[in-house]
Amino acid sequence: MNIIEVKDLLKSYPQPGNKKETFNAVDGITFNIKVGEIYGILGPNGAGKTTTLEMLEGLNDIDGGSALINGLDVSTNVFKVKEIIGVQLQANEYFDKLNLTELLILFGKLYSEEIDSDDLLKKVDLLGKSNAKPEELSGGQKQRFSIACALVNNPKILFLDEPTTGLDPQAKRNLWNLAKELNAAGMTIVLTTHNMEEAEYLCNRIAIMDRGKLIAEDTPQGLIQKYAPEPQHLASQGNIEDVFLALTGHTLRD
Amino acid sequence: MFTSMQLHLAKVFLKIFFRDRQSVMLNLFFPLVFIGAFLFIGGESDPIKLGLVNNSTTTISKIFSDLVKSDQLFEVTEGEESDLKEQLLLGDQTAIIVIPENFDYLEKTSELRLLLDASQVRQLGAIKEVINTSLLSIERELRNSEPMFSLKIEDVKARSQRYIDFLLPGLLAFMLMNLSIAGSGFNIVEYRRRGILKRLFVTPIQPKDFIISIVLARTLIVLMQISVVLGLAIALLDVKIMGSFLSLYGMVTLGTFIFLCLGFCLGSIAKTQEAVRPIVTSFTFPQLIFSGVFFPISSMPEIVQPFAHALPLSVIATGLRDIANDGTSLLVFNTTTLGIVIWIMLSFFTVTKFFVWKEIAS
Repeated sequence: MNIIEVKDLLKSYPQPGNKKETFNAVDGITFNIKVGEIYGILGPNGAGKTTTLEMLEGLNDIDGGSALINGLDVSTNVFKVKEIIGVQLQANEYFDKLNLTELLILFGKLYSEEIDSDDLLKKVDLLGKSNAKPEELSGGQKQRFSIACALVNNPKILFLDEPTTGLDPQAKRNLWNLAKELNAAGMTIVLTTHNMEEAEYLCNRIAIMDRGKLIAEDTPQGLIQKYAPEPQHLASQGNIEDVFLALTGHTLRD
Repeated sequence: MFTSMQLHLAKVFLKIFFRDRQSVMLNLFFPLVFIGAFLFIGGESDPIKLGLVNNSTTTISKIFSDLVKSDQLFEVTEGEESDLKEQLLLGDQTAIIVIPENFDYLEKTSELRLLLDASQVRQLGAIKEVINTSLLSIERELRNSEPMFSLKIEDVKARSQRYIDFLLPGLLAFMLMNLSIAGSGFNIVEYRRRGILKRLFVTPIQPKDFIISIVLARTLIVLMQISVVLGLAIALLDVKIMGSFLSLYGMVTLGTFIFLCLGFCLGSIAKTQEAVRPIVTSFTFPQLIFSGVFFPISSMPEIVQPFAHALPLSVIATGLRDIANDGTSLLVFNTTTLGIVIWIMLSFFTVTKFFVWKEIAS
């Protein structure tokens, strides 16, 4: 059963330097995500991954097409959608002067829920830091705390926007395990990433985006079978990074 | 009336504010320095330093110098002309009166000399007036004549008013403007820059919840800080509030609301932290000059008076002054309350127009 149904989703912005012209940051993409999946959106910088996620999260207006989350149209039921999703953003900044417990209680209140902050901190392995301020945490701890904030409403779907960018290998592994645990408990996870290993390790299915379009979508193995470089019989030696470069080219993006 | 989410968020904003001790102290610093200064000088201006050279030994010279010395307007130093002249040049004296040797009533006019540094003397009028009055009263005494006229000054509002009584309401209005604009304008830009607004808006919080919480928290902050300054002014400077405190606090609350709304607008216009400061300054600075905080609008050039009267800070300062000095009630309908109603509507309309949530958060 699909929990997310995206059809011909479109987002356009004025062209930088020429405000009269527009360009499509997300150019009519269509995909479905099943309940309980970990779905990865891969793409180079500027491919439209974060914009896609922001439209699904209700942070950005949808200019064309539709997005249904748990049967709710995001355009018309944005606040109801927000109640059933959890979001971890790329930037992790919080109000000053508040400790982790106070911040979690605050986020709980924003969903009108009384939460057990210790339970959440335990889930992300930060129980010992309950009185610390976010700025006192390491990069990995910050990301885990950010996920704890996204879990305050016990969401059906968790959106993770480049969750392991800038983390060391240990912190990265730790976060992957957390994502796997949450998924095993029944949570659908949608993540964007640059990290091919992450996509391959975590995702049930992967969509590859480039220049606002969805150019491929399949399971990691399916993508390797289809797109890994020749010779075909050696495809099993290729990986998702080979697929990604084969599809999006080697040119540098900002 | 308020949801538990709004109340909790307001509580969080209060907590954040009070945990920032430096900010609490700095917000109180400026008004407290003013109160301290008034406490030091006792609410009156400094006496004029006047040198007195008495070259005469006559009774009239004695009467004259005693009269000048007894005037509270002056701080008189008697001495030699050369010494006092030196002090005058150094700026330690404002003027010197020299009583000539033959200062007497000898059927001809005696001449007093007044030495001064004309570029420094702003109080010349006051000095001349006191000298003239003293001389006149000596003359009357000698001629045994009664004054034909006397001038008795009566305040039509039948209460004594000192400068601090005039200044305090303006100062409170200025303080509430700064606190409110910092609370909405600066915070919005900072929260946006750091992505905190975006983080809030992935939750089901609605823009009105956020605004209500900030308005609630900031109003309480303003009321508390104003109470501290007002309390000290009452206790230490013997400032009298003629109207009711309910009216005064009501006026403060309305003023806070107006400036919070205007602050949200300024914060929405400013895209960066660098931009918000000049924008806020260009909004607050003319108000500090033209809103009659330090001196009455009626003393300004006539051409700017209508503009000055229309400024939101003027309206609030006048409103507070009406309550504090004249005992007016907040509920009395006059041009000030009309001005407040207009500014409430105007600021609320502008905030709903300018404060576009998605643009603010992104």
